[in-house]
Amino acid sequence: MCHRSTVWVMAVLLAVAGTTRASMQGGPTDRPKLDEAAAARGRSVYAAQCINCHGSTAKGGPNGPDLIRSPAVLRDRLGSGIGPAMRAAASAHTATMTQAQLVDLSHFLRQRVEAITRNRTATAGSIDVLTGDPEAGRRYFNGSGRCSTCHSPTGDFAGIATRTQDAVTLQQRMLFPTLARSTKRVEVTITPLEGPPITGELVRLDNFNVSIRDAGGDYRAVSRVPGVKVEVRDPLAVHHDLLDEYTDDAIHDVVAYLWTLK
Amino acid sequence: MRAAVTLIVAVSIVATLQGQGTVPAAALIAPGVDSWPMYNGDYSGRRFSDLNTVTADNVGSLSLGWTHRISAAGPAGGGGATAAVIKGTPVVVNGVLYVTLPDHVWALDARSGRELWHTTWPSRGGWHIGNRGVAVLGTTVYVSTPDCNLVALDNRTGKEKWRTEICDLEQFYYASAAPLVVGSHVIVGVSGDDLDIPGYIESHDPDTGAQQWRWYTHPEPGTPEARTWPSVDAMLHGGGMTWGSTTYDPALNLIYFGTGNPQPVINGRKRPGDNLYTESIVALNPDTGKLAWYFQSSPHDTHDWDATQTPVLFDGVIDGQPRKLLAQAARNGWFFVLDRETGRNISSTEYVKTNWASGVDAKGQPVPNPRKEPQVDGALVSPNQGGGQNWPPPSFSPQTGLFYVNATRAFSVYYLYENENDDKPQGWGGNDRGGWSEAMLLGIDYRNGTVRWRYAWDGSAATRSGLLSTAGNLLFAGDAVGNFVAFDAARGVPLWRAGLHAAITNGAITYRLDGIQYVVVAANDTLYAFASPPR
Repeated sequence: MCHRSTVWVMAVLLAVAGTTRASMQGGPTDRPKLDEAAAARGRSVYAAQCINCHGSTAKGGPNGPDLIRSPAVLRDRLGSGIGPAMRAAASAHTATMTQAQLVDLSHFLRQRVEAITRNRTATAGSIDVLTGDPEAGRRYFNGSGRCSTCHSPTGDFAGIATRTQDAVTLQQRMLFPTLARSTKRVEVTITPLEGPPITGELVRLDNFNVSIRDAGGDYRAVSRVPGVKVEVRDPLAVHHDLLDEYTDDAIHDVVAYLWTLK
Repeated sequence: MRAAVTLIVAVSIVATLQGQGTVPAAALIAPGVDSWPMYNGDYSGRRFSDLNTVTADNVGSLSLGWTHRISAAGPAGGGGATAAVIKGTPVVVNGVLYVTLPDHVWALDARSGRELWHTTWPSRGGWHIGNRGVAVLGTTVYVSTPDCNLVALDNRTGKEKWRTEICDLEQFYYASAAPLVVGSHVIVGVSGDDLDIPGYIESHDPDTGAQQWRWYTHPEPGTPEARTWPSVDAMLHGGGMTWGSTTYDPALNLIYFGTGNPQPVINGRKRPGDNLYTESIVALNPDTGKLAWYFQSSPHDTHDWDATQTPVLFDGVIDGQPRKLLAQAARNGWFFVLDRETGRNISSTEYVKTNWASGVDAKGQPVPNPRKEPQVDGALVSPNQGGGQNWPPPSFSPQTGLFYVNATRAFSVYYLYENENDDKPQGWGGNDRGGWSEAMLLGIDYRNGTVRWRYAWDGSAATRSGLLSTAGNLLFAGDAVGNFVAFDAARGVPLWRAGLHAAITNGAITYRLDGIQYVVVAANDTLYAFASPPR
């Protein structure tokens, strides 16, 4: 029973491994560089000697304190902190550990600390966005969402699920589309103080200057002085407006529907 | 080890300056127009100057007085990348301007931008995300460092007078805030939300650096406020950092500041309750560090919306009655006006449209909608993690009665990363991703929270420019593409503009020397000083 339990928690540990960056920006810089191979060995040391009391994620249990929040762990340099701490609580630490195992354990615990910091990169593996109802999403797509006004499951969205790396990315692209993968562009018409209006692709717009690339490929810039008129036609404007309308249920339903377009 | 760490001081020019000598405490209570002696210019946090050499009528006569490009980019010693981006506010006293990056302090001639000295701190680490600037008193310049030191420098040379450790780098604390001198106290806050550690603010002796008091941003166990946490253990690991700016009312003898996000940051499922005193505006006695009152801007936050935005102090009239007021445009998109004697709420309004609150409770605090907490499959939230407002300082003009905010309206999706089997979330249990945003400058009527005017920043998704208003009916603001603009403060109409080489990255300051009014602002690594004709 105990053995089975350990095997299960090992699986949890393995599942969360690899979700950290090699380095972090917080904390002191004199910490030895995290050695991933040593951390992997340290994981085995932990599973064999520590896990039953300190828990599957080193966050503590009924018989052992949280090691992520432990000052001894946070101050540790290759066992300099955790070694004495274990000896100080000798009655609870009857298992023996070689110096090499102690160093490996130090790397493993440091990896566990880094796993919860701001820069952690746990992403797609732990995010499941396919929780919606595909049929409800299809109805929204063709109905109140008005998606079908511009998009089609047999046209521009044919096979979209096979062209998108994962469902999270699809959700992000649906909510915050860019023109990077589109032939459409932001189009601007400028009516200068003198001469006819000029139209072209937006290069840059701020409150004081506007510039475009016209159909002939020429760069044209105009200062937005009083009397100059600038008309911007952004194909994505409707998507920006939709951000105020979406419900989270509708988002999940539509993503579930789009993920069926394979 | 510690003894081996010494300051490296490069004195490029041994200059004789008029009156560089000393800054009396009285100069901080009633600053002269020839100075900008603390982060916000004065204790009120209004970033309003009485100077009117430059006005809405003659602002076109502003021209480039000097520039100073920071010449020593990068960190002194590891601890993460330091981009040479000036995010702090320079301090000006006795004709000398002090400007900082993490681990660096420069003293410049405020008339010419010429370097007088540059001090580099050999860092032991910590986040190098930004430094907000120095405090001054007597002949001392005070600065905090990413590796958790409060350092006192000689204002003539930049040499270290003393240092004191204000936080534990090993627990991932770091320091970025500008210290504030109040009487015989140097008050400084701390940063750090990687791990689940408690926030606090503390006071030090200006002469020796000895700690005078520390106030933790959590309640005392056993008090009614402690019941806003599920356990003492959760509360003592509950975050609430103090990295914003502190303001001070000498008449009430209270300091005011906002506190940061609760921990764990994104996953709040195991810390049900309001989680006091995180994301709160608090008032303390600066002599004792005792709490006078609190108001929570964001109960039970799960979006990293630190309420560290400046609590701005001004007097006004509400319903015909003169009132001592405090206003904050919080990161969560809400604008709060409080009575600064009692902390009681007067009004709570959205300054940008948000989608996360279901209403306002009897205390005037927004009520979070649980459906807009981060979800494993994502929740579309506005504002995003950056917030409606962040660290760039706002401004209030008593001349117009308007509170100015360089605001962002932004959306992103908040995801929970925690495995469903993990019953003890820690640190960052998720994050937000993606988004769309638009930037705007707002003039808000403090009496009711109404946005009187709104100026959209075309081409800027978000700005990191702070604000400055002056008695010349001017409001100085910047965008993300290098436009530094003077507005008619009453109407929100641009009157003057300079195109700088990069995004505006701090709040502008102003001072007058020899009849010339200077307006100084940063764009990444460069200070630009605009100057009026002498009058």
